[in-house]
Amino acid sequence: MADPVLLALTWRVTRRRLLGSPLAIAAALAFPAFVIWIGVADSYGTAAKFFFFLLPHVFLIAAQDTVRSDIESGALESVLFLGGRFRGFLDRKGFALSAITGAYAAVLFALFAAWGLAAGGYEPAFWLRFALALLAGFYYIALAGALSYVLRAGSNVLVLLLVQAAAVGAMIFSTTARTGLLDYAATGEFPGLGPRLVFGALAAVLPNVVVSGRLSVFAAEVLAGLGLALLVQSRLARQLELRS
Amino acid sequence: MIEVHGLTKRFGRVEALRGVSFKTKRGAITAMLGENGAGKTTTLKLVLGFLRPDSGTVAVAPGRVGYVPDRPAFFAGLDGWTILTLARPRRDRRASGNGRGFGALVLASSRSLLFDPALLRRRPASYSAGNAKKFAYLQNLVVAPDLLVVDEPFSALDPPSIRSVRDILCGLREAGKTVLVSSHMLAEMERIADGFVVLKRGETIANAGLREWRLMRTARKAPDLESVFLRLTGAEGPG
Repeated sequence: MADPVLLALTWRVTRRRLLGSPLAIAAALAFPAFVIWIGVADSYGTAAKFFFFLLPHVFLIAAQDTVRSDIESGALESVLFLGGRFRGFLDRKGFALSAITGAYAAVLFALFAAWGLAAGGYEPAFWLRFALALLAGFYYIALAGALSYVLRAGSNVLVLLLVQAAAVGAMIFSTTARTGLLDYAATGEFPGLGPRLVFGALAAVLPNVVVSGRLSVFAAEVLAGLGLALLVQSRLARQLELRS
Repeated sequence: MIEVHGLTKRFGRVEALRGVSFKTKRGAITAMLGENGAGKTTTLKLVLGFLRPDSGTVAVAPGRVGYVPDRPAFFAGLDGWTILTLARPRRDRRASGNGRGFGALVLASSRSLLFDPALLRRRPASYSAGNAKKFAYLQNLVVAPDLLVVDEPFSALDPPSIRSVRDILCGLREAGKTVLVSSHMLAEMERIADGFVVLKRGETIANAGLREWRLMRTARKAPDLESVFLRLTGAEGPG
């Protein structure tokens, strides 16, 4: 970690790439616009639900195309990355991305909280929900980062979105017991191990569900998943060779 | 300066290197020669740490290492000046303070490479192939390497630039730096190199200094390096 030049390089490359990505910019602008629209059309309380639930997806969109494209572009075969330093660069990329997106999320949260204080709808528990949304967001970046060692361009994010759509679709269109699952999730109380495991699987692909604050067990699962994804990424980076 | 012993590397079923061994001398230009697919680039990448050997050892003397790839690629989002400042060693940053010394070094190096410094405002990803190659040299010159590794030193360059790169490589040698180049341009290599490593199908078939090379040339009654190379690699029958 103690390589300021590599850290500066990682920071600049990641920042420029995010600012140069039309999809990331569109997501960063569309998300607050959507939350404002909900707040104006309905209420601040409803806007808060959408804000916290959708915030992790801003991280997911930002995590597109993190590793494979750099490897294949040949940009890592440079004097800057001799002696295996390219592995350190790839290792730090996820952290730089998390820091940039986390800073953006913090600004949005500050503005959203200020709106709530002015409108009278702000709740102290929002801090916890924001922290859980950050956790889910960091998990997305780590998971998408690990996937991007094998999937090129934005397909790492696309795969996650498709799996989420399939999981939610299966839940909605399958048995009525699944509908009960959503009720359990809303109260945070599960009647047995089966529903807990099913919801655990859902939380692994859609960690946004932990932002309710009532699902601390699943927040622990997402935290463990974050650690695991970082470990996998670190191993992949250590084994990586530039063959192109 | 570089000592490679028994290097092997396999990519799936392909055995790219089968026990490559050679030594280069400090303050000398060593040319690595070989046909397409002989294992030159793989050997360079192993020396530079971009690949890991399956077996064998690579020892490089301590010091700054530079690298100019055959076809340099750069991050799309960064302009030339930013990349140069990132390549600049920390020690030099502290020593030169306001960066005026660094700017002068960049200008002088650009001039010696026939590279237009105004291009530094643009992103190297948008440069022509020749300017990208010159920029890769520039990136290394500001690092002032003790060992410079170059893959195809003259590819994409026009004749005046070839001459300036040749002068730069010879200048590095005169300054006591070590240069390892991989090239197909045998006439150019014969002009500048002090030693040769010849690879064939992943194996070292010759590792000679200039004197031994000349002796080989005389013994084989070959007029130039090209003839010796073709005979060594079996691409030309005895004439």
